[in-house]
Amino acid sequence: MFKRIVTVIEVLALAGALFFVVMLFGNEGGGTLTPSAAVYDANCASCHGGDGGGGLGPQLAGVVEEKYPDIEDQIAFVEEGQGAMPGFSGSLSDDEIRQVVEYTRSLK
Amino acid sequence: MTATTVGASVKPAISPKPLGIFLAGAAVSVLLGVYAHEHTPVANKLPYDFIWSGTIQMKASLATIAVLLAVVQVLLAMRLYGKLKWPKTMPPWLGDAHRLTGTLAFVVTLPVAYQCLWSLGFQSGSTRVFIHSIVGCIFYGAFVTKVLAVRLHGLPDWTLPVVGGLVFAALVVLFLTSSLWFFTSSDAPNPAF
Repeated sequence: MFKRIVTVIEVLALAGALFFVVMLFGNEGGGTLTPSAAVYDANCASCHGGDGGGGLGPQLAGVVEEKYPDIEDQIAFVEEGQGAMPGFSGSLSDDEIRQVVEYTRSLK
Repeated sequence: MTATTVGASVKPAISPKPLGIFLAGAAVSVLLGVYAHEHTPVANKLPYDFIWSGTIQMKASLATIAVLLAVVQVLLAMRLYGKLKWPKTMPPWLGDAHRLTGTLAFVVTLPVAYQCLWSLGFQSGSTRVFIHSIVGCIFYGAFVTKVLAVRLHGLPDWTLPVVGGLVFAALVVLFLTSSLWFFTSSDAPNPAF
């Protein structure tokens, strides 16, 4: 009986693995990034996580608006950097910085 | 290919079966690596919020569960191979329990891997993240090799312990470079669940 249950679970796991592969490739077309998301992905995601959930750097999603009620303060921070966070004024345009800051504030 | 003469017959120096399963696993690892590198990360959150407060919390929890299940699986394997002597009499369900824990550990890793591959992609921003990306791909290749090693007959005796050890080692490295870092590092985001 136990052997049969384990076999059923193995079959379900195999189905789950196939579903995993289908979802990976099936959702490929849905991965088009908006310009602001593309800037975020290229400059921020490696530290703050693709979803802003944090990584090497702190979580952004759902917390930056609280930390910087005034968007200009956050823009200044991104431009100048602090500690381990590099400044981006030399590598991103003012528009790109504003876009990416607005993008981080939209992450929930 | 080099060959060793045994009596009148010629035996290949490298048996094709182990080579085949290792190549199959390597192909899976490479495929995942290429996907993760070429895929445009969507930088989106997945709907796990009904249980966890964030994606990283979900990943850290599930990776920890996977490692705990894998530890149980290794202990069961050690008993099956006679490396552990407890319990004195081997229960008849031990082999099935070994299969079950391994299967559950694998299933638990799938949502984590999906979020890593689809939302984040292959990253090399730091040594930890780079190792995590590489070993993540190796893990699933090793897992495929392990499943094939279990199913195929006539493999050398060392195949299963070696491949099983590789799968376990890869999972532990993934845990150390993600969950353990998340729970212990001051650089990590707040580990509130």
